[in-house]
Amino acid sequence: MPFEALDFYDVDSLLTDEERMVRDMVRDFVDNEVLPKIEHACRDGVFPDEWRVTLGEMGVLGAPLKGYGCPGLSYTAYGVICRELERGDSGLRSFASVQGSLAMYPIWDFGSEEQKNYYLPKMASGEWIGCFGLTEPDYGSNPGDMITRAEDMGDYYLLNGAKMWITNGSIAKVAVVWAKLDGVIRGFIVEDGDEGFYAPEMKGKHSLKASVTSELVFQDCKIPKDRILPGVKGLRGPFSCLNNARYGISWGAIGAAQACFDSAKEYSLSRIQFDHPIASYQLVQNKLSWMLREITKAQLLAYHLSQKKDAGNWIPEHISLAKMNNVDIALEIARVARDIHGANGVLDEYPVMRHMANLESVKTYEGTHDIHNLILGRHITGIQSFTRDLS
Amino acid sequence: MSIAVLLKQVPDTTAKIAVSGGRVDQGSVSKWSTSPYDEYALEYALQLKESGAGDLVAITCGPARSSKMLTDAAAVGVDSMLHVEVDTSEMDSKQIQSILAAAVKHCDADVILCGKQAADTNSGSTGPGVASLIDAACVGMVSEVSVDGDGFSALRGTPTGNERVVVSRPCLFAFDKAATELRRPNVKGIMMAKKKVIETVSPGDLGVDIGESGIKINAHDSPPEKPPGQKFEGAESVSTVVTKLREEANVI
Repeated sequence: MPFEALDFYDVDSLLTDEERMVRDMVRDFVDNEVLPKIEHACRDGVFPDEWRVTLGEMGVLGAPLKGYGCPGLSYTAYGVICRELERGDSGLRSFASVQGSLAMYPIWDFGSEEQKNYYLPKMASGEWIGCFGLTEPDYGSNPGDMITRAEDMGDYYLLNGAKMWITNGSIAKVAVVWAKLDGVIRGFIVEDGDEGFYAPEMKGKHSLKASVTSELVFQDCKIPKDRILPGVKGLRGPFSCLNNARYGISWGAIGAAQACFDSAKEYSLSRIQFDHPIASYQLVQNKLSWMLREITKAQLLAYHLSQKKDAGNWIPEHISLAKMNNVDIALEIARVARDIHGANGVLDEYPVMRHMANLESVKTYEGTHDIHNLILGRHITGIQSFTRDLS
Repeated sequence: MSIAVLLKQVPDTTAKIAVSGGRVDQGSVSKWSTSPYDEYALEYALQLKESGAGDLVAITCGPARSSKMLTDAAAVGVDSMLHVEVDTSEMDSKQIQSILAAAVKHCDADVILCGKQAADTNSGSTGPGVASLIDAACVGMVSEVSVDGDGFSALRGTPTGNERVVVSRPCLFAFDKAATELRRPNVKGIMMAKKKVIETVSPGDLGVDIGESGIKINAHDSPPEKPPGQKFEGAESVSTVVTKLREEANVI
């Protein structure tokens, strides 16, 4: 039976017919191909390769980009895709976010015509997986002080340094890596097999277990001259990518929250304690009402942001608010849903603990919750509070 | 000559059906879908088209809301769509068959696929009725069809096993549950579907005089509520349970 997502205010009625068809397509994929396999994928710590193939066949990778084999859907449709994928699992949505917003987008926006023609069609079809190397072991929220360096050797660039927490790293054919060239942050396209490039997988995660996370190591890694992204210098490059990915996350988190709400509702109606379904008790109803309230607000926030994104009248702070709020409420909803499931909530028979553990990562990556608060704080006051001179 | 698939929009199997004033309250149906057997017909019609058997037109006869189903069909690859827009709720099977037969002729189709019955009325007469009106061979209970030389080879289930039937044009295949589910659309198909125009006509435009319905529906009723389950415990109740299973449930 197809999933009926909570949509109390019928927000999806605001979508176009095309966006609704895209929603139904992805929802069908998640129902039939993701949910039956997700718990095994998590236990084995793998991203099933057939999901990559189907995402490519459906044509949802790089969905809002136009040309070079990309469909040019609306950002609203891209949001809907993220929501439906994350209803399945945040790891699955992460795969699509990284491929589309973090690896394809910088090539599409800042790449040369040759780079776009060479990489984008194969990435849109899913044949080549991409990853995005910005975060380093010692530089997470503060990427501007990154250590990774590129040196111009005349015929080639020499890359040295290391990146960490890189989604898709070990399975990627294409890595968009940000490094300092003469002190200025530039984007480089590194390919699997380049001399001096290694991408060992990071093991032992309690979160996003169906997603591959890696280190990227560059030891005198030689990069041909035509693999620098010519169109951007400075932090604007990676931040442009992150704006799009964060936008997608603000929708994606709603999917995870809807899945947790649905499971909690069904469980509370069928679980009998003290002779009655626990859904009949006021404490449980209060929790379910709160979930409905927060999901409805998050839906309206995401939808309105999508309209601004499609109209082009948005600022990064709008995205910060939506990413921060929607992930925050999704995580809290997952925790309360786990509570409603009682001990059963810790079993992988139910999706709630998996979503809860995933959302802990989602709260931290793509700008931590606190960093988004500081971005908004700077917007409100005009005073940045990220750093200060403590000497 | 082209291939036609006949589709009917029915209440989704998950939708709640309410009866009001002796009729199913269509306004209360929350979700409409393509009738499941028609979806199998659509999948095999797409396969025939891909085998070079001709262009594929999707045809429906029904109210305005049915057009969404045709757009969905376009997203998976039908070439054109014909919507005979008409309120069919008080029509009999023969009237609907005459409209669909005229629609098939209008589209110049000589290979027709449809579901063996619609999920709402369960009448099962559309396929044979249309085949009869256009003078086509009719193969029912089909679970598979493919191009075979100039004709088609179909597999149909019978109570004693499967039967393979070879027919030539013109022919009609009425689908039972088949091996391959309807394919999922992709973004490209969805975007193409937006550009395809649905040809919308009335029965009059097709030159059909459907006359009066030969059947009058007295009233629709909701099925009676199921009686509550009965619980038996202990070995001493075995004979009671056996008797009930034999005489009330008729299962042993």
